[in-house]
Amino acid sequence: MMYQPLWLTFKLALATTLCLLLLGIPIAAVLAKSRSKLKPFLEAIISLPLVLPPSVLGFYLLLAFSPQNGFGKMLDVAFNIRLLFSFSGLVISSIIYSLPFMVHPVQAGLEALPASLREASQTLGKSSWQTFIKVLLPNIKPALLTGIILTFAHTLGEFGLVLMIGGNIPGVTKVASIAIYDEVESLNFSTAHIYAAILMVVSFVILLTVYLTNKRLNKSRIAT
Amino acid sequence: MKLTLFALTILLVPFCSNAQRLRIAAAANAQFVSQELVKEFKQLTGIEPELIIGSSGKFTAQIEQGAPFDIFMSADMKYPQELYEKQLTIGKPEVYAYGTLVLWSNTTIKLPVNNLIKADIRKIAVANPKLAPYGEATIQTLQKLKLYTQLQPKIVYGESIAQVNQYLLTGAVDVAFTAKSVVLDPAQKDKGSYTEIDSKLYKPIAQAVVILKSSTGGNLQQVKKFYKFLFSAQAKAIFKAYGYK
Repeated sequence: MMYQPLWLTFKLALATTLCLLLLGIPIAAVLAKSRSKLKPFLEAIISLPLVLPPSVLGFYLLLAFSPQNGFGKMLDVAFNIRLLFSFSGLVISSIIYSLPFMVHPVQAGLEALPASLREASQTLGKSSWQTFIKVLLPNIKPALLTGIILTFAHTLGEFGLVLMIGGNIPGVTKVASIAIYDEVESLNFSTAHIYAAILMVVSFVILLTVYLTNKRLNKSRIAT
Repeated sequence: MKLTLFALTILLVPFCSNAQRLRIAAAANAQFVSQELVKEFKQLTGIEPELIIGSSGKFTAQIEQGAPFDIFMSADMKYPQELYEKQLTIGKPEVYAYGTLVLWSNTTIKLPVNNLIKADIRKIAVANPKLAPYGEATIQTLQKLKLYTQLQPKIVYGESIAQVNQYLLTGAVDVAFTAKSVVLDPAQKDKGSYTEIDSKLYKPIAQAVVILKSSTGGNLQQVKKFYKFLFSAQAKAIFKAYGYK
């Protein structure tokens, strides 16, 4: 019982990170390459979750997912899927909520690569897809790692969104941050302390790993 | 590839363990008494309901959006009535208990309400009267005692009775208006002291319960069992022990 919210939080963070790997890298690649006038608009949209209160996002997702309105109604009628108060709903909202944390580092990493790298690879007969997978991505390892880990860590801390669309259901939507809120509301301060301390230690270890690894990777790059 | 498979397996787990559960959404003021009720109910029937605590207003909004709760124990009559009118409930709301308002203080000295105007009481916690019936009852009481305008600068509003309790226990306020069921809970009993507010000063806090249509057919029998249990002699005794009438 005690570990369920922590386990659920871990699952949510893992699912979000995997989905964002598939979704975030292409977006970052398009943005890094783009010279379009629309680019600033796209960048602004992707960065919105950084500045918006989660309650704003939560409120709009609540309306969007509601079986009474357009999108939610369509899902409900056509596929019998309800995203409110479900784990899959949390995953989808976390993907939106953590999107900039994956896209920003990867985009910055790709933009920092010298153009000669791609040109050399293409001169040697590699397609642009092969170039991207075999040459560009391996060269931005620190950026990828930062993206993956920040996405994971940021999703661990998700609260406002889950509060609005989750419904605090044990084993389904009651993640660690909600469990802390719940224990404080029930005046069980000692249980709240345990959850909070675990989250704090885990987050610290994650961030420390990022900084230590990035330092090492950067050093080895300068050395070669 | 292996990692992806592993991750997918993990993700599918919550959808597989689809055991039917009995979920009770209970108002914050009833959290301690409902824990006790659930314990007793489990002893009687072997069924252990899942208890979710929150504010009645939030639950009502969630239920309107299809939240999967079976029973809603509200802090008032208004919200269950609203759900009933929207045809989201099975049957009319029924009052399961009447709440009692108390003034809870950090000190061991019992405090008459009139003493709140004294300078050493700096902050008073009250639940948001727009959302919480105990907050509404508090404002009615203060208005009837002609203390409201005078005390207004000292009042801090909590989102719900649960936040008001936190304000008091963390020392953020000197006194708080809360439910008697909170101060009678064994875990809070020796934390400070309380004064019961004369029930003539506020409109009765009638707390109603409804069975929800969103409840799944499979466990409707269990749901009805718990609903019936709420009105049994055993449950009445528990409510009484927690200061409800």
